[in-house]
Amino acid sequence: MRMHPVKQVLLHVAVLVMIAFLVFPVLLLVFNSLKTQTQIFESPMGIPHGVTWDNFRTVITGGTFLINFRNSAIVAFSTVILAIIVTAPAGYALSRFKFRGRTAFSMWLLATQAFPGIIMVLGLFTVLKVYGQINTLPGLVIMHTSFALPFSIWLLKGYFDKIPIDLEEAARIDGCTRLRALVKIILPLSVPGLLAVGTFSLLLSWNEFFFALVIMRTNENWTLPVYLSRFLGSGGVVQWGPLSAAALLVTIPMFVLFLLGQRYLVSGLTGGAIK
Amino acid sequence: MPFIAPALAILCFVSLYPLIQGVSRVFYSFRALTGKNVYSGLQNFVLLFRDPVFIRALLNSLVWTVTSVAAMFFISYILATMLNSRHLRFRRAFRTVTLIPWALPGVVVSLIWRYIFLSSGPLNTALSSLGVIHLPAWLIDTHLALWTCIIANIWMGIPFVTIMILAGLQSLEGDILEAAAIDGASYLQTQLRIIIPSIKKVILIILTLESIWTFNSFDIVYVLTRGGPANASMTLPLYAYTWAYGSQQAGYGAAIGIIILLILLSVVVLYIREVLQ
Repeated sequence: MRMHPVKQVLLHVAVLVMIAFLVFPVLLLVFNSLKTQTQIFESPMGIPHGVTWDNFRTVITGGTFLINFRNSAIVAFSTVILAIIVTAPAGYALSRFKFRGRTAFSMWLLATQAFPGIIMVLGLFTVLKVYGQINTLPGLVIMHTSFALPFSIWLLKGYFDKIPIDLEEAARIDGCTRLRALVKIILPLSVPGLLAVGTFSLLLSWNEFFFALVIMRTNENWTLPVYLSRFLGSGGVVQWGPLSAAALLVTIPMFVLFLLGQRYLVSGLTGGAIK
Repeated sequence: MPFIAPALAILCFVSLYPLIQGVSRVFYSFRALTGKNVYSGLQNFVLLFRDPVFIRALLNSLVWTVTSVAAMFFISYILATMLNSRHLRFRRAFRTVTLIPWALPGVVVSLIWRYIFLSSGPLNTALSSLGVIHLPAWLIDTHLALWTCIIANIWMGIPFVTIMILAGLQSLEGDILEAAAIDGASYLQTQLRIIIPSIKKVILIILTLESIWTFNSFDIVYVLTRGGPANASMTLPLYAYTWAYGSQQAGYGAAIGIIILLILLSVVVLYIREVLQ
């Protein structure tokens, strides 16, 4: 079937309008990071003329940006590693074993999505306080992992379901243990699934604001989202130039990783939902 | 069960136990005089239902969730249908670009929209060049504040919903559509009678997850308006935070949290019932 040329042009125009709506706000951020404060207010939408890098210089040299960047990186990578270590065996068990309470466990995973942040933060606060982990990076890692686990387990289970069971059975007949079969046979075959879990937990941790806001009490322990939100709180005029530069620096690393990992993330998410 | 044990142990430690701990906070109230939390029974709930700001926040949260999710779904459905069209060129590139807002941290999204909605910001500049004389003060007008937050939230949610619907559409078999076309079904009929019922499962999971995430969402309202002006855009999660961490009334914050929990669990139960049918 061919489409009428006018219709086809309209289709492209409509898609471009929607894409513009999704992209233009991000472009504004890029423009603002390259403008001076006066330029930002004289032409709020214009393309910067006479690009200035001062905003980036201000952000990097002043304040706690670099320390907070390091904190965010440590927390995000620890969350990814912890999430993968814990979810791989759990997803495997959900996919392969018929054990009592299996359905209940799956329902529980779905229900955790509905737990309000405030209740979890009040409860985790008490737990972390016992171990002296308020205002520490490990404390935040635990919070982020608890957040990332349910979805990751569900995602990996979907992946393991697709791997034929005969492969492990052959290995087990040859005298391989379950754990060995998981590590040597299943995991190498589920690299895309692991990448999906990795991208998902990395984004989640890097972008997470609420828990970090509550438990990080001192400047040098902030993560980047908390750092960014403090631009607004200092009173007076918001410095949109440096703020935009900082926001861009926060976004770029994840953006690159996202572009690399999105294929796995998308197939992981949609694969689980469609079956 | 050596495989499930570590996950189970960690989930108990970071999810079940904190849940119980958090919920149990509701039975305590902070007394400023002694500086201690004392047992107060169900007092926090009693206070809650007499609190006009709570009622306001509850209604706002419902408006915020229902309109956000409905608009996200409507826009994303159209976008996904177009991105799925064989007649569209550069489909791959368009799909990747659609994902961009998804990679941005919530705080960054909120900051961008806060800038767009400034009284002398980009949006009002555009409106005034179109000849609008009475420019709205988006973030500080009691009638508009919640809606500005909703717009930002819709923008942020579109990529995920679009990609999920798109995946659903791609899983459809071509012959159903051809059969419909041969039987002379109109475009709208094909959409409503054939396509939507065939991807019902994906639609249900999207609506469930997105409703939960939106209802629980904190970043956007916190950064854009802090619930203001005069609680006009206050939502439940932000209100709970204000009590628990703004004025040390963890018990009152927990009471609000329990209301959120009950609302969201009923959403989950609805979903499970629908899926099990």
